[in-house]
Amino acid sequence: MGDHQKIVVMACKHSAGEALRELQREGWALPDGVEWVELPCGGSLDELHILRAFEAGAAAVLVLACYHGACRSLDGSRWAEKRVQAIQEMLAEIGIEQDRLEFRNIAPTMPADLASWVEALHRRVLAPAGE
Amino acid sequence: MIVAERKPLSEIIAKVEGYNRLLIVGCNTCVAVCQAGGEKEVAMLAAALRLRFRDRQPAMEIIERSVERQCEEEFNQVLAEDIAHAEAVLSMACGVGVQTLVEQFPDAIVLPAVNTKFMGRPEERGVWSERCIGCGNCVLDKFGGICPITRCAKSLLNGPCGGSENGRCEVDPENLECAWQLIYDRLARLGQLDRLLEIEPPKDWSTARYGGPRKIVRKDMVL
Ligand code: SF4
Ligand code: SF4
Repeated sequence: MGDHQKIVVMACKHSAGEALRELQREGWALPDGVEWVELPCGGSLDELHILRAFEAGAAAVLVLACYHGACRSLDGSRWAEKRVQAIQEMLAEIGIEQDRLEFRNIAPTMPADLASWVEALHRRVLAPAGE
Repeated sequence: MIVAERKPLSEIIAKVEGYNRLLIVGCNTCVAVCQAGGEKEVAMLAAALRLRFRDRQPAMEIIERSVERQCEEEFNQVLAEDIAHAEAVLSMACGVGVQTLVEQFPDAIVLPAVNTKFMGRPEERGVWSERCIGCGNCVLDKFGGICPITRCAKSLLNGPCGGSENGRCEVDPENLECAWQLIYDRLARLGQLDRLLEIEPPKDWSTARYGGPRKIVRKDMVL
């Protein structure tokens, strides 16, 4: 931590968590430098969690929550998206590129998408520094 | 409650960038409830400023504190050591809290981090609106409990004006209800529409801010 060589994924366990476990059953593993933080619901994401991740040296944060309407706590994923947007605005004001914080909706049946999003973010944010 | 809103980060950054030891002080009463300057907002602002100045050497020192009510000196005593240590204090309280720190710690540089907006209430989650401007002589009883001074855009005491349409105020129909429609509806509900036949004389504004800064002295509470 602290060396800007980490991506933090904050993920709802009901959708992203299930997709990750499916990938792991198939033998896929998170790329080096990607830290997976599982949330009981997108709605439990707090703005401070995201800021703390950047403070601790994350180069990017990816927030994954269920499709709106599919959230088991009704509006959890919508709250997650709102909080991400609020922090994106703060990041812009303090000079951090807004695309360092991504929000995506995901379903448990989307392991391939999950792998491609994580790999793309890893290539974009971590790989150039590692080369 | 007093309703406030955090200043834009760019403005706060410009105010504090000349300092290297910063104390951020929140207030856990009104501004905490309207989520502008409580403990959590202090933590978020501190995190944002640490990120903004993360490459600075030596690192900017940011101390986070929150007191129960910054507008009362008793609650601020605990800050004395941190205030002496800090080069500047960023207060997330309303303007009253900021000025209390200034009066209590005359050598400290105290900067406001929020804009104090109005006395109001939360209408729904995330929405606050103004209810009272503190005119100093409350007349709510005459208007069915709805303040025409605060809620009518023109502060009309003998309304409505000609711009009231479908219950909306002509000044900003999208966002404002016509206060006089609300007053009419409420008086109708109470069976007191005849009150509207009375002409309200011009108000004595000397009790409001226009008479200069106001003060209350309770003789029974002062020795
Ligand atoms: S009449 Fe005066 S004191 Fe009463 S609510 Fe209106 S502004 Fe406030
Ligand atoms: S429309 Fe109603 S609220 Fe607006 S200025 Fe006229 S009387 Fe006041």
